[in-house]
Amino acid sequence: MTVHHKIRKFFFPSLTPKFVIRVSLIALFAYLFFGYLCIPFTIQGISMEPTYHHGGVNFCWRLPYLFSEPKRHDVVTVRFAGSKVMLLKRVVAREGEQVEFRDGRLFVDGKEIEEPYVLYPCDWNLPPRQVEEDHIYVVGDNRNMPIENHHFGQATKNRIMGVPLW
Amino acid sequence: MVKIKYLLIGVPMVIIGIVVAITLIPSEEKRVKKQFHLLSEWVSKSPEENPFTMLQRMKDIGSLFDAQCELKVPDQSLSGTYTREEISTYAGSARSHASQLDLKFYDLQIVFPGKEVAKVTVTARLTGRTTAGEQMDETRELECLLKKIENKWLFSQIEAVEVLKK
Repeated sequence: MTVHHKIRKFFFPSLTPKFVIRVSLIALFAYLFFGYLCIPFTIQGISMEPTYHHGGVNFCWRLPYLFSEPKRHDVVTVRFAGSKVMLLKRVVAREGEQVEFRDGRLFVDGKEIEEPYVLYPCDWNLPPRQVEEDHIYVVGDNRNMPIENHHFGQATKNRIMGVPLW
Repeated sequence: MVKIKYLLIGVPMVIIGIVVAITLIPSEEKRVKKQFHLLSEWVSKSPEENPFTMLQRMKDIGSLFDAQCELKVPDQSLSGTYTREEISTYAGSARSHASQLDLKFYDLQIVFPGKEVAKVTVTARLTGRTTAGEQMDETRELECLLKKIENKWLFSQIEAVEVLKK
């Protein structure tokens, strides 16, 4: 078989039943994998700067929380009505814990929490509040904005879709 | 071999037939989706929109709502029951403050709790620019109730769901 013939066969294969079945299986696998298990998304907004940048591309990997709970400092995706639009946030407290911000510093159950990922100055003040049962408390890494303009708070665990792949 | 050939021709034909039937027969679900499509089209605004189109759009938006519609969007100071005309006026006023608007709906989940009632959970994303040049980017999960009145699905209740509770 000549090289020319091989290239032609690669790009224009003969439509044998085996080939059609193989292509259908690959298409089905890709649909299920990228539609439900590893959902591609683009980052829009600056609430996770400098960890994640506006315009970045990533994948939401859905398996990590199938058998375990989100931990503090995990970056998670929080869904709205479905998986087409999600929020990318960091877990700072879990159910039953008390969250508070004093002069931009995070306190959980009265203890200050080190946050090496927060690099921009922050002056937030938020009175203590209890994270409700079956909820987690999420905040973005970019707190260099008025607290009123930042989308954060507690979300029910069933809204956590997964984690970004990188 | 002959059987496989028949199968390879027959199965896609049946699938195409089902898809065509689903596409052509207007179901109630499709008619509800169309109302969201119209709302998205009429709320959206291009920078070149002339005043006549703007007035027409105001009227059009009103026609999608029931005579009395309950709105519960606390962070937009919209809480209570509004008439179709009030909603038209509010939409017109809000649109006049924007030079460009784009409303999109994602992840529509439609259920029919009654014969003439549809409950829709949806993610709404409004992006654009104000006349002052500021960027707008708002995302909300909405729970909408539509009622079938005179063979038309009309919005009778819209409530914003709090995804993250501060």
